[in-house]
Amino acid sequence: MSLLNDELRSWIGREVHFPAREELGRASIRYFALALGDDNPLYVDEDYARAAGYPSVIAPPTLICETCQYAHRAPDRHGYIGHAWELPITGCRLIRAGNDYEFMRPVLPTDRISVTWTLEDIVERKSSRGGTQLFVTSVARYRDAAGALVAVNRETIVYQPLSPSP
Amino acid sequence: MIRPTLSASSLKPGDKLPAMDQPMTTADLVAYGGATWDWNRLHFDLEYARSLNLPNVVVDGQAFGAVMAKHALAWLGPRAFMTRLSFKMRAMAFAGDTLRAEGEVADVRHAADHAVVVLAQRLKVGDRVCAEATAEVRLPD
Repeated sequence: MSLLNDELRSWIGREVHFPAREELGRASIRYFALALGDDNPLYVDEDYARAAGYPSVIAPPTLICETCQYAHRAPDRHGYIGHAWELPITGCRLIRAGNDYEFMRPVLPTDRISVTWTLEDIVERKSSRGGTQLFVTSVARYRDAAGALVAVNRETIVYQPLSPSP
Repeated sequence: MIRPTLSASSLKPGDKLPAMDQPMTTADLVAYGGATWDWNRLHFDLEYARSLNLPNVVVDGQAFGAVMAKHALAWLGPRAFMTRLSFKMRAMAFAGDTLRAEGEVADVRHAADHAVVVLAQRLKVGDRVCAEATAEVRLPD
């Protein structure tokens, strides 16, 4: 059974943009570091960060690649508020295959980060269990207030049929 | 006084990063979910996780990347700048697991005014590999 059809193919190339709502802020950075038990002083100690050559404290690299902070809507029934394509695929579970982040420069608490998601590709592959599954690759491009790229997040999600057909 | 940053010339392929343990209790998952605005019930609601046939609430996949970035940058020092982190999920991790971060230097590339160290990293729970990554980090030369 093929999962990929013309309707799904028409989603390739779609874009969605989430504008910056506010500066990233020192509290967000400190909260993230604290949640991870990360005692790196670059994230909380202004003098230390300056002595290391930065204009101020900086954000841990992966913080801005977290999806939900750009959204502004009520949680869905799973509690999720972040970006989702809502592809017309039923009877599948979604599994994160991986992420490929590129970072252009350290992000500062004063940065206003916006993100544009692009649905880059949908590919059907055989699964090791004999069925087929879909690999959906999206790219998020994070830009600062001047429009300069600060990070790219290429993310692949697998849509795996709940009961794979041979 | 800031910590020294490792110099690229002191690193060679095969050098091991000191292993780092990252406990992932339910409270840790809640803290990470809060810090990333992620209120997905999968990460804190045990009944919901069990309804999906999972043994416990699930560690967020992007948290794996965050842990590997923490591991690499804690070792390399404050002037290190991560330019790339590419990770693949191999298995789920659950509340109560402790992730062990391991890794080694895969390559060192020298450019005109800086160097890039390439790390191969992984997160394990016991013998189970949960994620594997390649990180590229720019160091002053």
